[in-house]
Amino acid sequence: MTHLPYIITSYGLAIGLALFLSIGAALRLRRDRARLAALEATRGAGRARGTGQGETA
Amino acid sequence: MKRKTRRLWLVITCVAALGTAAGLTLSAFSSNIQLFMTPSQLNAKPPPADRTVRLGGMVVAGSVKRDRKGDTPINRFDVTDGQSAVTVSFEGILPDLFREGQSVVAVGSMAPGGGFMASEVLAKHDETYMPKEVAEALQKSGKWDPKFGPPPNAASWNAMTQKQASASVQGK
Amino acid sequence: MSATPTLTERAGALFHRYANPGRFLRLGVKLQPWLTWPALILSVTGLVWGLFFSPADWQQGDSVRIMYVHVPCAWLASSGYFALAVCSVLSLVWRHPLADLAAVEIGPVGACVTATCLATGSLWGKPMWGTWWVWDARLTSVLVLFFLYLGHIALIRGFDDPQRGYRAAAILALAGAVDLPIIKFSVQWWNTLHQPDSITLRGAPTMSHAMLWPLLVCTLGFTLGFAAIVVARLRAGVMESRIRSLLSSPRRNGEADTSGAVGEYAA
Repeated sequence: MTHLPYIITSYGLAIGLALFLSIGAALRLRRDRARLAALEATRGAGRARGTGQGETA
Repeated sequence: MKRKTRRLWLVITCVAALGTAAGLTLSAFSSNIQLFMTPSQLNAKPPPADRTVRLGGMVVAGSVKRDRKGDTPINRFDVTDGQSAVTVSFEGILPDLFREGQSVVAVGSMAPGGGFMASEVLAKHDETYMPKEVAEALQKSGKWDPKFGPPPNAASWNAMTQKQASASVQGK
Repeated sequence: MSATPTLTERAGALFHRYANPGRFLRLGVKLQPWLTWPALILSVTGLVWGLFFSPADWQQGDSVRIMYVHVPCAWLASSGYFALAVCSVLSLVWRHPLADLAAVEIGPVGACVTATCLATGSLWGKPMWGTWWVWDARLTSVLVLFFLYLGHIALIRGFDDPQRGYRAAAILALAGAVDLPIIKFSVQWWNTLHQPDSITLRGAPTMSHAMLWPLLVCTLGFTLGFAAIVVARLRAGVMESRIRSLLSSPRRNGEADTSGAVGEYAA
Protein backbone atom coordinates (compact mmCIF):
# COMPACT_ATOMS: atom_id res chain seq x y z
CA MET A 1 0.00 0.00 0.00
CA THR A 2 1.10 3.53 -0.67
CA HIS A 3 1.24 6.08 2.16
CA LEU A 4 0.99 3.28 4.69
CA PRO A 5 2.18 5.27 7.75
CA TYR A 6 -0.55 7.87 7.21
CA ILE A 7 -3.24 5.21 6.81
CA ILE A 8 -2.13 3.23 9.86
CA THR A 9 -1.95 6.35 12.02
CA SER A 10 -5.47 7.36 10.97
CA TYR A 11 -6.98 3.95 11.70
CA GLY A 12 -4.98 3.78 14.93
CA LEU A 13 -6.37 7.14 16.04
CA ALA A 14 -9.96 6.10 15.33
CA ILE A 15 -9.62 2.72 17.06
CA GLY A 16 -7.75 4.24 19.98
CA LEU A 17 -10.45 6.85 20.42
CA ALA A 18 -13.21 4.23 20.29
CA LEU A 19 -11.45 2.10 22.91
CA PHE A 20 -10.72 5.10 25.14
CA LEU A 21 -14.33 6.32 25.08
CA SER A 22 -16.03 2.94 25.43
CA ILE A 23 -13.76 1.59 28.17
CA GLY A 24 -14.08 4.90 29.99
CA ALA A 25 -17.87 4.75 29.78
CA ALA A 26 -17.99 1.10 30.85
CA LEU A 27 -15.77 1.68 33.90
CA ARG A 28 -17.74 4.75 34.92
CA LEU A 29 -21.02 2.85 34.57
CA ARG A 30 -19.71 -0.03 36.70
CA ARG A 31 -18.37 2.27 39.42
CA ASP A 32 -21.58 4.32 39.57
CA ARG A 33 -23.78 1.24 39.65
CA ALA A 34 -21.80 -0.16 42.59
CA ARG A 35 -21.84 3.17 44.44
CA LEU A 36 -25.56 3.63 43.92
CA ALA A 37 -26.32 0.08 45.02
CA ALA A 38 -24.18 0.49 48.15
CA LEU A 39 -25.80 3.83 48.95
CA GLU A 40 -29.32 2.55 48.43
CA ALA A 41 -28.58 -0.54 50.51
CA THR A 42 -27.48 1.57 53.50
CA ARG A 43 -30.45 3.89 53.02
CA GLY A 44 -32.75 0.93 52.73
CA ALA A 45 -31.37 -0.54 55.95
CA GLY A 46 -31.74 2.82 57.68
CA ARG A 47 -35.31 3.00 56.56
CA ALA A 48 -36.11 -0.46 57.80
CA ARG A 49 -34.71 0.31 61.24
CA GLY A 50 -35.88 3.89 61.35
CA THR A 51 -39.06 5.47 60.17
CA GLY A 52 -40.37 2.43 58.38
CA GLN A 53 -41.74 4.44 55.49
CA GLY A 54 -42.81 2.83 52.25
CA GLU A 55 -40.75 2.12 49.19
CA THR A 56 -39.80 4.81 46.77
CA ALA A 57 -39.06 4.56 43.06
CA MET B 1 -47.45 27.48 30.79
CA LYS B 2 -47.36 30.65 28.69
CA ARG B 3 -43.81 31.12 29.95
CA LYS B 4 -42.63 28.14 27.93
CA THR B 5 -44.18 29.45 24.72
CA ARG B 6 -42.56 32.80 25.38
CA ARG B 7 -39.18 31.17 25.99
CA LEU B 8 -39.55 29.17 22.77
CA TRP B 9 -40.19 32.33 20.77
CA LEU B 10 -37.31 34.05 22.52
CA VAL B 11 -34.95 31.22 21.54
CA ILE B 12 -36.25 31.20 17.93
CA THR B 13 -35.86 34.98 17.65
CA CYS B 14 -32.35 34.96 19.09
CA VAL B 15 -31.18 32.15 16.83
CA ALA B 16 -32.73 33.82 13.77
CA ALA B 17 -31.15 37.17 14.63
CA LEU B 18 -27.77 35.60 15.23
CA GLY B 19 -28.01 33.58 12.02
CA THR B 20 -28.86 36.73 10.04
CA ALA B 21 -25.99 38.63 11.63
CA ALA B 22 -23.56 35.81 10.86
CA GLY B 23 -24.84 35.53 7.30
CA LEU B 24 -24.45 39.27 6.66
CA THR B 25 -20.95 39.30 8.18
CA LEU B 26 -19.84 36.34 6.10
CA SER B 27 -21.21 37.75 2.86
CA ALA B 28 -19.56 41.11 3.63
CA PHE B 29 -16.18 39.42 4.16
CA SER B 30 -16.75 36.85 1.43
CA SER B 31 -13.74 37.86 -0.66
CA ASN B 32 -11.46 37.51 2.38
CA ILE B 33 -12.75 34.02 3.06
CA GLN B 34 -11.84 32.82 -0.41
CA LEU B 35 -8.72 30.69 -0.19
CA PHE B 36 -7.32 31.67 -3.56
CA MET B 37 -7.60 34.12 -6.47
CA THR B 38 -8.38 32.94 -9.97
CA PRO B 39 -6.08 33.75 -12.92
CA SER B 40 -8.72 36.18 -14.28
CA GLN B 41 -8.78 38.11 -11.01
CA LEU B 42 -5.01 38.13 -10.87
CA ASN B 43 -4.67 39.42 -14.44
CA ALA B 44 -7.41 42.00 -14.02
CA LYS B 45 -5.95 43.46 -10.85
CA PRO B 46 -2.35 42.31 -10.37
CA PRO B 47 -1.36 42.60 -6.69
CA PRO B 48 1.94 44.35 -5.84
CA ALA B 49 4.99 42.11 -6.18
CA ASP B 50 5.69 42.15 -2.43
CA ARG B 51 2.29 40.76 -1.49
CA THR B 52 1.88 37.01 -1.02
CA VAL B 53 -1.28 35.70 -2.62
CA ARG B 54 -2.71 32.31 -3.45
CA LEU B 55 -3.51 31.46 -7.02
CA GLY B 56 -5.87 28.61 -7.84
CA GLY B 57 -6.83 26.94 -11.09
CA MET B 58 -6.30 24.03 -13.41
CA VAL B 59 -2.89 23.09 -14.83
CA VAL B 60 -3.09 23.58 -18.60
CA ALA B 61 -2.46 20.38 -20.59
CA GLY B 62 0.91 20.45 -22.33
CA SER B 63 2.16 23.49 -20.45
CA VAL B 64 4.32 21.74 -17.84
CA LYS B 65 8.08 22.15 -18.35
CA ARG B 66 10.34 20.40 -15.86
CA ASP B 67 13.95 21.48 -15.52
CA ARG B 68 16.74 21.04 -13.00
CA LYS B 69 19.14 23.45 -11.34
CA GLY B 70 21.57 21.18 -9.52
CA ASP B 71 19.38 19.07 -7.29
CA THR B 72 16.35 21.33 -7.24
CA PRO B 73 13.69 20.69 -9.83
CA ILE B 74 12.43 23.84 -11.54
CA ASN B 75 8.87 23.67 -12.81
CA ARG B 76 6.98 26.02 -15.07
CA PHE B 77 3.34 25.53 -15.88
CA ASP B 78 0.25 27.52 -16.80
CA VAL B 79 -2.74 27.74 -14.50
CA THR B 80 -6.13 28.60 -15.95
CA ASP B 81 -9.71 29.14 -14.86
CA GLY B 82 -11.00 28.72 -18.39
CA GLN B 83 -10.93 32.43 -19.20
CA SER B 84 -7.43 33.55 -18.43
CA ALA B 85 -4.08 31.92 -17.66
CA VAL B 86 -1.03 32.71 -15.55
CA THR B 87 2.41 31.14 -15.90
CA VAL B 88 3.70 29.81 -12.59
CA SER B 89 7.31 29.00 -11.85
CA PHE B 90 8.15 26.90 -8.83
CA GLU B 91 11.45 25.57 -7.49
CA GLY B 92 10.93 22.41 -5.49
CA ILE B 93 9.23 19.07 -5.46
CA LEU B 94 5.63 19.09 -6.66
CA PRO B 95 3.02 17.08 -4.71
CA ASP B 96 2.21 13.54 -5.87
CA LEU B 97 -1.18 14.53 -7.21
CA PHE B 98 0.25 17.24 -9.47
CA ARG B 99 -0.49 16.51 -13.13
CA GLU B 100 -1.84 18.24 -16.18
CA GLY B 101 -5.55 18.87 -15.79
CA GLN B 102 -5.31 18.81 -11.98
CA SER B 103 -6.46 21.76 -9.88
CA VAL B 104 -3.68 23.35 -7.87
CA VAL B 105 -3.25 26.19 -5.42
CA ALA B 106 0.07 28.06 -5.71
CA VAL B 107 1.27 30.31 -2.87
CA GLY B 108 3.58 33.13 -3.93
CA SER B 109 3.67 36.56 -5.54
CA MET B 110 3.71 38.20 -8.94
CA ALA B 111 7.17 38.33 -10.47
CA PRO B 112 8.32 41.82 -11.57
CA GLY B 113 8.65 40.66 -15.18
CA GLY B 114 5.20 39.05 -15.24
CA GLY B 115 4.23 35.54 -14.26
CA PHE B 116 3.80 34.10 -10.81
CA MET B 117 6.65 32.99 -8.53
CA ALA B 118 5.38 30.21 -6.28
CA SER B 119 6.98 29.30 -2.97
CA GLU B 120 4.59 26.40 -2.40
CA VAL B 121 2.28 24.38 -4.65
CA LEU B 122 -0.66 22.42 -3.24
CA ALA B 123 -2.65 19.89 -5.23
CA LYS B 124 -6.42 20.07 -4.97
CA HIS B 125 -8.27 16.89 -5.79
CA ASP B 126 -11.91 16.85 -6.79
CA GLU B 127 -14.81 15.04 -5.14
CA THR B 128 -14.61 12.10 -7.55
CA TYR B 129 -13.38 8.77 -6.23
CA MET B 130 -12.99 5.85 -8.62
CA PRO B 131 -10.90 2.71 -8.87
CA LYS B 132 -7.96 2.70 -11.25
CA GLU B 133 -9.68 0.20 -13.54
CA VAL B 134 -12.78 2.39 -13.93
CA ALA B 135 -10.65 5.44 -14.71
CA GLU B 136 -8.77 3.42 -17.33
CA ALA B 137 -11.99 2.13 -18.87
CA LEU B 138 -13.36 5.67 -19.15
CA GLN B 139 -10.17 6.87 -20.79
CA LYS B 140 -9.96 3.91 -23.18
CA SER B 141 -13.53 4.42 -24.29
CA GLY B 142 -12.71 8.03 -25.09
CA LYS B 143 -15.29 9.38 -22.65
CA TRP B 144 -12.72 11.25 -20.60
CA ASP B 145 -9.19 12.56 -20.70
CA PRO B 146 -7.98 13.61 -17.25
CA LYS B 147 -5.72 16.21 -18.88
CA PHE B 148 -8.69 18.24 -20.01
CA GLY B 149 -11.03 18.31 -17.07
CA PRO B 150 -13.21 16.51 -14.58
CA PRO B 151 -14.60 13.01 -15.21
CA PRO B 152 -18.02 12.52 -16.86
CA ASN B 153 -21.31 12.44 -14.97
CA ALA B 154 -20.93 10.07 -12.04
CA ALA B 155 -24.23 8.28 -12.65
CA SER B 156 -22.76 6.84 -15.87
CA TRP B 157 -19.98 4.95 -14.10
CA ASN B 158 -20.39 4.77 -10.33
CA ALA B 159 -22.06 1.36 -10.44
CA MET B 160 -19.25 -0.04 -12.61
CA THR B 161 -17.25 -2.70 -10.81
CA GLN B 162 -13.54 -3.25 -11.17
CA LYS B 163 -14.17 -6.50 -13.05
CA GLN B 164 -16.53 -4.90 -15.57
CA ALA B 165 -14.03 -2.09 -16.04
CA SER B 166 -11.10 -4.45 -16.64
CA ALA B 167 -13.22 -6.51 -19.01
CA SER B 168 -14.22 -3.45 -21.04
CA VAL B 169 -10.58 -2.35 -21.25
CA GLN B 170 -9.48 -5.77 -22.49
CA GLY B 171 -12.41 -6.00 -24.90
CA LYS B 172 -11.21 -2.90 -26.75
CA MET C 1 -53.53 28.38 32.19
CA SER C 2 -55.77 27.98 29.20
CA ALA C 3 -58.24 25.14 28.86
CA THR C 4 -56.91 23.75 25.58
CA PRO C 5 -53.19 22.98 25.72
CA THR C 6 -51.03 24.95 23.32
CA LEU C 7 -48.64 23.28 20.93
CA THR C 8 -45.71 24.16 23.18
CA GLU C 9 -47.45 22.55 26.14
CA ARG C 10 -48.27 19.40 24.25
CA ALA C 11 -44.70 19.15 22.95
CA GLY C 12 -43.48 19.70 26.50
CA ALA C 13 -45.68 16.92 27.83
CA LEU C 14 -44.32 14.58 25.16
CA PHE C 15 -40.70 15.41 26.05
CA HIS C 16 -41.36 15.07 29.75
CA ARG C 17 -42.56 11.52 29.36
CA TYR C 18 -38.93 10.75 28.62
CA ALA C 19 -37.54 13.29 31.07
CA ASN C 20 -37.95 11.08 34.07
CA PRO C 21 -34.45 9.82 34.84
CA GLY C 22 -35.70 6.58 36.39
CA ARG C 23 -37.61 5.78 33.22
CA PHE C 24 -34.57 6.70 31.17
CA LEU C 25 -32.39 4.28 33.17
CA ARG C 26 -34.77 1.40 32.44
CA LEU C 27 -34.98 2.39 28.76
CA GLY C 28 -31.20 2.80 28.59
CA VAL C 29 -30.50 -0.68 29.93
CA LYS C 30 -32.75 -2.17 27.26
CA LEU C 31 -31.40 0.06 24.49
CA GLN C 32 -27.71 -0.38 25.25
CA PRO C 33 -27.05 -3.80 23.67
CA TRP C 34 -29.05 -2.82 20.57
CA LEU C 35 -26.64 0.07 20.07
CA THR C 36 -23.36 -1.44 21.24
CA TRP C 37 -23.29 -4.70 19.30
CA PRO C 38 -24.47 -3.44 15.89
CA ALA C 39 -22.03 -0.54 16.29
CA LEU C 40 -19.15 -2.91 16.93
CA ILE C 41 -20.05 -5.32 14.13
CA LEU C 42 -20.71 -2.60 11.54
CA SER C 43 -17.61 -0.56 12.42
CA VAL C 44 -15.28 -3.56 12.29
CA THR C 45 -16.87 -4.77 9.04
CA GLY C 46 -16.66 -1.33 7.46
CA LEU C 47 -13.07 -0.67 8.52
CA VAL C 48 -11.80 -4.08 7.38
CA TRP C 49 -13.73 -3.70 4.12
CA GLY C 50 -12.32 -0.24 3.57
CA LEU C 51 -8.78 -1.17 4.50
CA PHE C 52 -8.41 -4.45 2.62
CA PHE C 53 -11.25 -5.06 0.18
CA SER C 54 -12.18 -1.71 -1.33
CA PRO C 55 -10.27 -0.50 -4.41
CA ALA C 56 -7.55 2.12 -4.29
CA ASP C 57 -8.37 5.44 -5.93
CA TRP C 58 -7.05 6.03 -9.45
CA GLN C 59 -5.12 9.13 -8.44
CA GLN C 60 -4.92 9.06 -4.66
CA GLY C 61 -3.89 5.42 -4.41
CA ASP C 62 -4.33 3.76 -1.03
CA SER C 63 -4.43 6.98 0.96
CA VAL C 64 -8.11 7.21 -0.03
CA ARG C 65 -8.67 4.60 2.70
CA ILE C 66 -8.27 7.37 5.28
CA MET C 67 -11.70 8.45 4.06
CA TYR C 68 -13.33 5.50 5.86
CA VAL C 69 -12.41 7.01 9.23
CA HIS C 70 -12.29 10.70 8.30
CA VAL C 71 -15.75 11.06 6.77
CA PRO C 72 -17.72 9.28 9.56
CA CYS C 73 -15.88 11.41 12.14
CA ALA C 74 -16.67 14.58 10.20
CA TRP C 75 -20.34 13.59 9.93
CA LEU C 76 -20.48 12.84 13.67
CA ALA C 77 -18.72 16.06 14.60
CA SER C 78 -21.54 18.04 12.98
CA SER C 79 -24.45 15.81 13.93
CA GLY C 80 -23.16 15.50 17.51
CA TYR C 81 -23.19 19.27 17.73
CA PHE C 82 -26.68 19.30 16.26
CA ALA C 83 -27.76 16.93 19.05
CA LEU C 84 -26.17 19.33 21.54
CA ALA C 85 -28.18 22.20 20.05
CA VAL C 86 -31.42 20.17 20.30
CA CYS C 87 -30.66 19.43 23.97
CA SER C 88 -30.07 23.14 24.48
CA VAL C 89 -33.51 24.06 23.11
CA LEU C 90 -35.12 21.40 25.34
CA SER C 91 -33.16 22.77 28.26
CA LEU C 92 -33.84 26.48 27.69
CA VAL C 93 -37.50 26.22 26.71
CA TRP C 94 -38.80 23.20 28.62
CA ARG C 95 -36.20 22.97 31.42
CA HIS C 96 -35.83 19.31 30.52
CA PRO C 97 -33.58 17.76 33.21
CA LEU C 98 -32.44 14.84 31.07
CA ALA C 99 -31.46 17.19 28.22
CA ASP C 100 -29.10 18.99 30.61
CA LEU C 101 -27.43 15.73 31.60
CA ALA C 102 -27.28 14.66 27.93
CA ALA C 103 -25.59 17.93 26.98
CA VAL C 104 -22.95 17.31 29.67
CA GLU C 105 -22.21 13.88 28.19
CA ILE C 106 -22.38 14.68 24.46
CA GLY C 107 -19.83 17.50 24.69
CA PRO C 108 -16.64 15.49 25.42
CA VAL C 109 -17.57 12.69 22.99
CA GLY C 110 -18.23 15.23 20.24
CA ALA C 111 -14.97 17.03 20.96
CA CYS C 112 -13.02 13.75 20.71
CA VAL C 113 -14.68 12.91 17.38
CA THR C 114 -14.00 16.40 16.02
CA ALA C 115 -10.35 16.15 17.08
CA THR C 116 -10.10 12.81 15.26
CA CYS C 117 -11.72 14.33 12.19
CA LEU C 118 -9.14 17.15 12.16
CA ALA C 119 -6.22 14.80 12.80
CA THR C 120 -7.17 12.25 10.14
CA GLY C 121 -7.88 15.09 7.71
CA SER C 122 -4.40 16.40 8.35
CA LEU C 123 -2.94 12.94 7.80
CA TRP C 124 -4.81 12.76 4.52
CA GLY C 125 -3.90 16.29 3.45
CA LYS C 126 -0.16 15.90 3.87
CA PRO C 127 0.37 13.16 1.27
CA MET C 128 -2.37 14.35 -1.11
CA TRP C 129 -2.53 18.13 -1.01
CA GLY C 130 1.04 18.56 0.15
CA THR C 131 0.20 20.30 3.41
CA TRP C 132 -0.94 19.37 6.91
CA TRP C 133 -3.14 22.39 7.26
CA VAL C 134 -4.48 25.30 5.26
CA TRP C 135 -6.73 28.10 6.48
CA ASP C 136 -9.53 27.47 4.03
CA ALA C 137 -13.19 27.92 4.93
CA ARG C 138 -13.93 24.20 5.50
CA LEU C 139 -10.94 23.43 7.71
CA THR C 140 -11.27 26.66 9.67
CA SER C 141 -15.01 26.24 10.32
CA VAL C 142 -14.42 22.69 11.64
CA LEU C 143 -11.64 24.01 13.90
CA VAL C 144 -14.14 26.59 15.19
CA LEU C 145 -16.56 23.71 15.89
CA PHE C 146 -13.84 21.99 17.93
CA PHE C 147 -13.34 25.13 20.03
CA LEU C 148 -17.12 25.46 20.47
CA TYR C 149 -17.14 21.92 21.91
CA LEU C 150 -14.24 22.82 24.25
CA GLY C 151 -16.03 26.00 25.34
CA HIS C 152 -19.22 24.04 26.00
CA ILE C 153 -17.34 21.44 28.06
CA ALA C 154 -15.71 24.15 30.18
CA LEU C 155 -18.84 26.26 30.58
CA ILE C 156 -21.25 23.49 31.59
CA ARG C 157 -18.89 22.43 34.38
CA GLY C 158 -17.75 25.94 35.26
CA PHE C 159 -20.40 26.98 37.80
CA ASP C 160 -20.99 26.01 41.41
CA ASP C 161 -24.69 25.95 40.69
CA PRO C 162 -25.08 23.35 37.90
CA GLN C 163 -28.34 24.96 36.73
CA ARG C 164 -26.50 28.14 35.81
CA GLY C 165 -23.89 26.10 33.95
CA TYR C 166 -26.59 24.27 31.99
CA ARG C 167 -28.22 27.56 31.01
CA ALA C 168 -24.97 29.27 29.94
CA ALA C 169 -23.72 26.24 28.01
CA ALA C 170 -27.09 25.86 26.26
CA ILE C 171 -26.90 29.46 25.07
CA LEU C 172 -23.36 28.89 23.81
CA ALA C 173 -24.37 25.68 22.01
CA LEU C 174 -27.32 27.39 20.29
CA ALA C 175 -25.25 30.39 19.24
CA GLY C 176 -22.54 28.07 17.95
CA ALA C 177 -25.06 26.14 15.85
CA VAL C 178 -24.61 28.93 13.29
CA ASP C 179 -21.33 27.19 12.46
CA LEU C 180 -23.11 24.04 11.23
CA PRO C 181 -24.47 25.46 7.94
CA ILE C 182 -21.18 27.29 7.47
CA ILE C 183 -19.32 23.96 7.65
CA LYS C 184 -21.81 22.29 5.33
CA PHE C 185 -21.82 24.96 2.64
CA SER C 186 -18.27 26.29 3.03
CA VAL C 187 -17.09 24.24 0.06
CA GLN C 188 -19.84 25.72 -2.14
CA TRP C 189 -19.88 29.34 -1.00
CA TRP C 190 -16.15 29.94 -1.15
CA ASN C 191 -13.23 28.41 -2.97
CA THR C 192 -11.34 26.06 -0.70
CA LEU C 193 -8.59 23.47 -0.91
CA HIS C 194 -11.02 20.92 0.50
CA GLN C 195 -13.06 19.31 -2.27
CA PRO C 196 -16.88 19.60 -2.36
CA ASP C 197 -19.08 16.83 -0.95
CA SER C 198 -19.16 13.57 -2.91
CA ILE C 199 -22.46 12.45 -1.43
CA THR C 200 -25.31 14.93 -1.83
CA LEU C 201 -29.07 14.74 -1.72
CA ARG C 202 -29.21 15.96 -5.29
CA GLY C 203 -27.61 13.67 -7.85
CA ALA C 204 -25.65 10.45 -7.77
CA PRO C 205 -22.65 10.20 -5.46
CA THR C 206 -19.44 10.96 -7.36
CA MET C 207 -17.87 7.88 -5.91
CA SER C 208 -17.56 4.31 -7.11
CA HIS C 209 -20.05 1.98 -5.43
CA ALA C 210 -17.13 -0.19 -4.36
CA MET C 211 -16.04 2.71 -2.11
CA LEU C 212 -19.48 4.04 -1.24
CA TRP C 213 -20.71 0.86 0.48
CA PRO C 214 -17.85 0.47 2.98
CA LEU C 215 -18.11 4.21 3.66
CA LEU C 216 -21.83 3.93 4.44
CA VAL C 217 -21.27 0.87 6.66
CA CYS C 218 -18.52 2.72 8.55
CA THR C 219 -20.69 5.81 8.94
CA LEU C 220 -23.62 3.82 10.29
CA GLY C 221 -21.34 1.84 12.62
CA PHE C 222 -19.60 4.95 13.96
CA THR C 223 -22.96 6.70 14.43
CA LEU C 224 -24.37 3.81 16.46
CA GLY C 225 -21.11 3.72 18.40
CA PHE C 226 -21.44 7.42 19.19
CA ALA C 227 -25.02 6.83 20.36
CA ALA C 228 -23.96 3.80 22.43
CA ILE C 229 -21.22 5.74 24.20
CA VAL C 230 -23.48 8.73 24.84
CA VAL C 231 -26.26 6.48 26.22
CA ALA C 232 -23.78 4.67 28.48
CA ARG C 233 -22.32 7.95 29.74
CA LEU C 234 -25.80 9.38 30.22
CA ARG C 235 -26.85 6.35 32.28
CA ALA C 236 -23.77 6.90 34.43
CA GLY C 237 -24.57 10.61 34.61
CA VAL C 238 -28.13 9.93 35.79
CA MET C 239 -26.83 7.55 38.44
CA GLU C 240 -24.27 10.12 39.57
CA SER C 241 -26.91 12.81 40.01
CA ARG C 242 -29.01 10.27 41.90
CA ILE C 243 -26.00 9.58 44.14
CA ARG C 244 -25.46 13.31 44.66
CA SER C 245 -29.06 13.87 45.63
CA LEU C 246 -28.99 10.91 48.02
CA LEU C 247 -25.83 12.24 49.65
CA SER C 248 -27.10 15.80 49.89
CA SER C 249 -30.36 14.87 51.60
CA PRO C 250 -29.03 12.66 54.41
CA ARG C 251 -31.95 11.81 56.66
CA ARG C 252 -34.77 12.12 54.22
CA ASN C 253 -34.93 8.72 52.69
CA GLY C 254 -38.36 7.58 51.85
CA GLU C 255 -39.41 11.07 50.92
CA ALA C 256 -39.29 12.44 47.41
CA ASP C 257 -36.01 14.08 46.53
CA THR C 258 -36.33 17.77 46.02
CA SER C 259 -32.76 18.55 45.05
CA GLY C 260 -32.24 20.12 41.67
CA ALA C 261 -31.96 18.43 38.37
CA VAL C 262 -33.25 14.98 39.14
CA GLY C 263 -36.02 16.09 41.42
CA GLU C 264 -38.83 14.09 39.88
CA TYR C 265 -37.17 10.76 40.48
CA ALA C 266 -40.09 9.13 42.18
CA ALA C 267 -42.68 10.57 39.83
